[in-house]
Formats: sequence, C-alpha cells, structure tokens
Amino acid sequence: MTESDVALFRGVEAAYSARLTALELPDRADEWRRFASGLALTSVYGLALGARSGGTSLLRHALGAPAALLAVSALAVPALFVVLALIDAPVTLPKTLSATARASASTGLLLAGLAPASALLVVTIDSDQVASVVTRLTLILAGTLGGLPLLSGIYEEVRRAPTGTRLKSVLLLCGFALFAGALSARIWSALLPILGGA
Amino acid sequence: MFQETVQVLERLLRSPSQIAKHCAADEDPRALFLASLCATLLGAAAFGGVLATSRGGLQLLYSATKVPLALVITLVLVVPALHGLAASLGQPLRLSAVVSLVLAATGRAALVLLALSPVVWLALDRGIGYHSSVLLAAACYALAGLSALGLLWHGVGKSLRGAFVIACFGLVLVPTGAQTAWLLRPFIGRPAQARVPFLRHRESSFADAMYLSALSSQGIYRAPEPNSHPAPRGATNLADDAEEAP
Repeated sequence: MTESDVALFRGVEAAYSARLTALELPDRADEWRRFASGLALTSVYGLALGARSGGTSLLRHALGAPAALLAVSALAVPALFVVLALIDAPVTLPKTLSATARASASTGLLLAGLAPASALLVVTIDSDQVASVVTRLTLILAGTLGGLPLLSGIYEEVRRAPTGTRLKSVLLLCGFALFAGALSARIWSALLPILGGA
Repeated sequence: MFQETVQVLERLLRSPSQIAKHCAADEDPRALFLASLCATLLGAAAFGGVLATSRGGLQLLYSATKVPLALVITLVLVVPALHGLAASLGQPLRLSAVVSLVLAATGRAALVLLALSPVVWLALDRGIGYHSSVLLAAACYALAGLSALGLLWHGVGKSLRGAFVIACFGLVLVPTGAQTAWLLRPFIGRPAQARVPFLRHRESSFADAMYLSALSSQGIYRAPEPNSHPAPRGATNLADDAEEAP
C-alpha cells in the first residue's frame, strides 16, 4: 500500500464516520442511504448474536436485530410527528427524517462496534440466561445512546416554540422515548431467539 | 528508532495527554506502535510469570504467554466498540486513531502491571492463600485498567461527554476482558495440582466465579448450582476454579 493509498483510505474512513453521524446531509437520498447503513450495521450485530447457535440462527438474528429500528422509524416517529404537528410544534418533515436517519446510523454504528465483544460473550458464556442478560444490556445501551440523536434533533426544532408548546413537546418526547423503548423491547423479544423469541 | 521507542515509553507513563494528541494527529505511528506493543508484551508477560511463581514449573511459561495474549485479544475486540461509542456520542474519531489510542492504553496498563509485579511476588512469597492471590491479581488488573482508561479519556476529549464515552466503554471493556481471561485460565495454578493444563474446560462465567472466590477467601464455601457445569470435573467448589482476569 503506497502512502497515497493510505491517505486515501484515511480520507474515506473519516468521511464515512462523519457522514453517518453528521447533523444533516444535503441530499434526501443521502439520508435514506444513511438510514439503510444503520440497518445494515445493526444486522452485523445480529450476526454476532446468531453465532451462539449458528446455522439459520445467524440469519434470524441478522434480520431480527434491525427490525426494531425499522419499527420505531416506521411506526413511532410518524406518530410523534403527527402529535407534534397537532400541538403546533415547529417540526418539519425533512428535519425529522434526518434525525431519524442519524439515530439509525448512530445505533447501527454502535451495535456494529459492540458486535465482536458480544460475539465473544454470547458464544463463550454457557448459561442461556446470562447470555440473554448480556444481550439485553447491550441492546439497552445501544438503544438509549442511539436514540439520543433523534430526541436531540427534534428538540432542536421545538426549542424555538413558545414556552407552552415547548413544554408540551418535551413531555411528548419523553413519552415517545418510553414508547420507542417498549416497542423495541417487544420486537427484539419476539424476533431474537437469544431473547426467547421465535 | 530505539531511542524514539524509549522516549515514547516514558511519555506513555508521564504524559498521557501528549500520547493522546499524537494518536489523534496524523503523525507517524510506528514508534508509538512499537513502544506500546513492547510494553504490552513485556509488562504483561512479567506479571503473568510472577502470578505463577507459587506453582512454578511449566505454569510460569504458560502464564507469561497467556496474560499478554488475553490483553491483545481484548484490545482487538474492544477497538470497534470505542469507535462506535465515540461516534454515536458525538466525539467521532478515525478508526486508526482509536487503534493507536487503545494500543497505547494497553501498553500503559501493562507497564502498571509490571510496576505491581514485585508487590504481587512479595505477597505470594509471604504465602497468601490461593483465593486471596486471585483477588489481589484482580485488584492489580483494576488499577492497570483505570490507568488505561485515563489515557483513553485524554484521547476522546477530556470533557464531561468524553467521560461519559469512557464510562460506557468501561461497561464493554470489563466483561470482555474478564471473559477473555476466564477462557484462558489458569494463570496462578495450585501447588497441589499434579499436572499443569494450558487451558481449562469452559465452565460457568467470570462474574459467578469472582463472587464465589470472594466468599471462599473469607472461609465461606458454597456449592455451585447444579446446572452451571456442563462438563463436570468432580465435586469441587466453583470458587476453586475462579482465577484472575486481566
């Protein structure tokens, strides 16, 4: 590898990380790509979980892990947008989409980063119960940290609103966080065999 | 190159902030890489050798090989986690910078282990019990780990957010390092043991074993749960198998 290759690699690497976690991307298509990258990276974590049993379990976990992100983005975020619009909070669709894509990418990046360590733990821990607890803790950590960009992105928009609307919006965001957490937990429990799902 | 490596070793101990800046900047990483790797291999090997002094023989060689191995495997497993955590918490770092940082932090931790080796040797020489030596080794690893996290904190940004990244990273590092070491047991070895195995059977988990070992060191013995041993090796207390983790 020549020095120019190394420089090119570093540039691409820096650009990739920065694009995934950037506040906003200029193009709508880039936001969709960022969202899809988040789902793909979450699948990598799913593969790590599937390594405990191997075989078709790899595929089931790889499909099950990003399902919660998909569900929150497709069900919870539109509901939040509608309710925020009802109380006349100054949220816009492009910014909400951007915050959702950023949260997906952030969660995916984090889960993909945790995949090697998780693979070691779930493969080498004998007890199913302990492996399940480790997985739950990892998902809680990633879900909490990954969801922050979505909440902060929407809060950035509603902070311009009058005090009353802003307070209602903050309460709604808190409710949304609880709902998104419960929805993710339900979906992961139902779809991931390591958590006792199908 | 040798002179430069020695200088980096000194900076690893004295000025973690300078090392962190070196990692973040796009400077030539060769001297840092070499110094950190040497520190990791030599420091951890020395500590591993000291741990095995109560058993002696082949265990010395095994432990001197396995402690550095445990550190390097843990390093490889946790690098992506730090990269992901830093990026998702708004402190994105290049992967190459994260690799340099974690390698330097591991080297620093190994140097701390090297410094603690005489203390551990003296304690073992004074005849502290097997379970107490396990706990002493675990305390040494905790101290070494804290010094490594200190360097990482400089690297991700010495702020509240940086501290949060490091705290989250600690949640990943501790179980990963502990489980890696758990798989590579034994490190200390018991003098009564006739044969020295390179690796033990896989059984239970690190957290269970540390808890039971702490009880055993106080003379409280508890039998393991019936289902916790898929490959039973006789009716022994699970705590007897508990060993230290880097």
